Amino acid sequence: MSIEEQYRTRAKELLSGGAVKMVIGYGKGSNAKRRRPIFISSADEVDRLVLDDACITNLSGYLVSEGLLSDEKRVAVFLRPEGIRAINILAAESQLDAEQIVIFGFDVAGNEIKALKGINVEEFSDVIDSIKEGAPEAAEEELFEKIEKMSPQERFSFWQEEFAKCIKCYACRQACPMCYCRRCIVDSNQPQWVNTSSHTLGNFEWNIVRAFHLSGRCVECGNCDRACPVNIPLRLINHRMAEEVLGAFDHFAGTSKTQEPVLASFKKDDSETFIL
Amino acid sequence: MAKIGVFICHCGENIGAKVDCTKLAAAMGEHPGVAVSVEYKYFCSDPGQESVKRAIRDNNLTGVVVAACSPRMHEATFRKACAEAGLNPYLCEIANIREQCSWVHTDNDQATEKAMDITRSMVEKVKRNNKLQPIEVPVTRRALVIGGGIAGIQAALDIANAGQDVVLVEREPSLGGHMAQLSETFPTLDCSQCIMTPRMVEAAQHPKIRLLTYAEIESVDGYIGNFSVRVRMKSRYVDINKCTGCGDCITKCPAKKISSEFDCGLGKRTAIYTPFAQSVPNIPVIDHANCIYFKNGKCKICSKTCQCDAIDFDMQDTFEDIEVGAIVVATGFQVQNNTMYGEYGYGKYPDVINGLQFERLASASGPTAGKILRPSDGVEPQTVVFIQCAGSRDPSKGVRYCSKICCMYTAKHAMLYAHKVHGGKTHIFYMDIRAAGKGYDEFSRRAIEEDEAAYLRGRVSKVWEENGKLMVRGVDTLLGRPVEIAADMVVLATAIIAQPDAKEFAKTIGIGYDEYGFYNEAHLKLRPVESSTAGVFLAGACQSPKDIPDSVAQASATASKVLALFSKDMLEREPVVATNNEATCAGCWGCVLACPYNAIEQKDILDRSGRIIKRVASVNPGLCQGCGTCVTFCRSNSLDLAGFTERQIFAEVMGL
Repeated sequence: MSIEEQYRTRAKELLSGGAVKMVIGYGKGSNAKRRRPIFISSADEVDRLVLDDACITNLSGYLVSEGLLSDEKRVAVFLRPEGIRAINILAAESQLDAEQIVIFGFDVAGNEIKALKGINVEEFSDVIDSIKEGAPEAAEEELFEKIEKMSPQERFSFWQEEFAKCIKCYACRQACPMCYCRRCIVDSNQPQWVNTSSHTLGNFEWNIVRAFHLSGRCVECGNCDRACPVNIPLRLINHRMAEEVLGAFDHFAGTSKTQEPVLASFKKDDSETFIL
Repeated sequence: MAKIGVFICHCGENIGAKVDCTKLAAAMGEHPGVAVSVEYKYFCSDPGQESVKRAIRDNNLTGVVVAACSPRMHEATFRKACAEAGLNPYLCEIANIREQCSWVHTDNDQATEKAMDITRSMVEKVKRNNKLQPIEVPVTRRALVIGGGIAGIQAALDIANAGQDVVLVEREPSLGGHMAQLSETFPTLDCSQCIMTPRMVEAAQHPKIRLLTYAEIESVDGYIGNFSVRVRMKSRYVDINKCTGCGDCITKCPAKKISSEFDCGLGKRTAIYTPFAQSVPNIPVIDHANCIYFKNGKCKICSKTCQCDAIDFDMQDTFEDIEVGAIVVATGFQVQNNTMYGEYGYGKYPDVINGLQFERLASASGPTAGKILRPSDGVEPQTVVFIQCAGSRDPSKGVRYCSKICCMYTAKHAMLYAHKVHGGKTHIFYMDIRAAGKGYDEFSRRAIEEDEAAYLRGRVSKVWEENGKLMVRGVDTLLGRPVEIAADMVVLATAIIAQPDAKEFAKTIGIGYDEYGFYNEAHLKLRPVESSTAGVFLAGACQSPKDIPDSVAQASATASKVLALFSKDMLEREPVVATNNEATCAGCWGCVLACPYNAIEQKDILDRSGRIIKRVASVNPGLCQGCGTCVTFCRSNSLDLAGFTERQIFAEVMGL
């Protein structure tokens, strides 16, 4: 039985038994390469669930939709390892109760789908540890290195060019499971710290603020990058911040549901290289 | 409509020589919202302050900017003046055009331009300032004194004698600290125990002092006037209420060969022990690591011997939470381990000892009952070499600072030795004789002139054993020639260092420390007994190496500070505290973790039927210290700091 079928069966059991009130998964999209999130609350609909190598969106952000979890009923969700890490962070930041989340874990290697064993977020710690140790894909690695090799001036003009394209649509924010604030700092206008218009300064302000707000929290699921209508490689910024916190504080985002946020906590042996 | 008064101070030449104050005043007078813009030579002077007050009254000013020195210097002065003129003091701001402008620039025109930017920026801020009212908090009139050495005892007694409650915490089984270990004290040669032990008893019996020995500070929360301290009572395995201190258990204990900490390893003690015979309280403790019962599960001889049934092998550490209003830190010092000087042979030759060990040999309560005998064979040494600065003033191997007491105690050791061993010879290698203090120089002269201490100015390069003698090779720099002395005993004047856990402990109580682990005073000259944390005071050698008179003087000084704090019913605190916008708070509670003062709590917002609608953060204004850490952490900008609101800061930045 394919993993898709196994997961459909499991979804059916959970829904018909009332163990979960909803399954958040992937359904057919507008073409063969696209999948869109679907929200199934009836056992009759599980055949709409699709699981293949096109299922790349991190669905964890839907869990924090207002009111979804407030009845304390459980919700099942299809997640890749990055999504599972996101559950840990959301739990650590008190946005959800990890007990309420039933995980349908999977990973994609080439076009192969691999099932990840477990239901509760704690059961995936081995998977998460192996990503921490693992290296990014070769093509990505090459791009990271290319940016790293630039001089600060070159890098600045690279980003200047990229951010010039930004139209401030905030699709990155909407797609990001970590952007759950009810009022984002850009929506605060007393005072207006971040310029709303999409000129270079305002664009820089927005994208840098977002990078800071995601440091130590981004799981590099790529949702923002894929959502961007003008193809700004946002994952590069977030990857760099993730490397910074890993190097400076040995902090890998989303390893456990009690992990303290890196910017709000300190250890007595933290390096103090920035204190003169 | 804003009516801001701008007062530009020349600070004599300090500002006036670099910044064109007339031009600055004229420019500020043009700025929208500024009603008055004037300059004066010294606004902090009495006529200066009067002119500010008059301007406030005459023009009904809604805000004041004083362009002058750092707010650390005179913010309080001008805010008080504003309050006297009927203006809320928090509507007054300082534009620092001295430290941040005139003092650091050379070009007059550019300095003037910058002074305009700084002042304009503060005018824009003050337009958005709000009236704030001080927060009043009650004072808990009970002091915590940490450390039961002479400094801690003195502070505790002074506070208690003024009628205030004191909790005195000592981590060792007995009060006394290092002073109890000493033989005689310079410069009067009175017996240390004779002056120390009555004070220990007085502290223990004082109705206002609660004594907790064998106890350690686990955590400190809160703030000046309202500290909450958790104390760990280490398990003595002896019930302090039942024990009569008869000492039978100590006599009968079969584990007799444990090296005595109190005698610096020169004597032995049992596993159930009091550090010394005059211990206060006179209640033994069981040394868990060395007790035969705890090691093998058999023995319990002490328990069988005890007629009061005071021994309890199942005793556990207990915790007690104590509320106090002020804390005196008197945690003392340690002596440096001299094994880093391989050439002196400390730790290799038993007759090379340190100064504190010599104190134990000379002390009537010591392992030799006051006779100076060599640790190796118990023979009276006929020649003793003292090496000063064995660790102090040595940046390469020891510490950079002077340990302050060694010159005096070495002179004292030479004297005591001369008095006890007639005909004995002493040689003292020194770098400088530092004998500043009442009666100190006379004392060291007496050692030289009457007790024939032979001072040799120079360092020792090597100590080795040859034919049963310790050969000491050094240099006499005054004669310019090498010296070799065959000695029976060598005494090293070891450096005083901070307690090994001093830095960790500083983090527990939240005070600053220097590179060596000595605690930092708020101001070396003007606030020498206050730490940088309000309500926490420093006494004794935990701050820097000190002798007994200095430690006692500092301890009494801390007592006066504590008593001043306790003289009021309520403390006024700055209303610069954070507030949270519950409507926009995302409830991530990062601020709860980020807050160093535990001032932020989780709060549930309920609907009418009691169901939770939302969980948000809530700041306790009594605990908040206004540091702003939460504000910088908050991603949704829900937290804001009174006096430094986002709107004020934004206006300030935009005003530049």
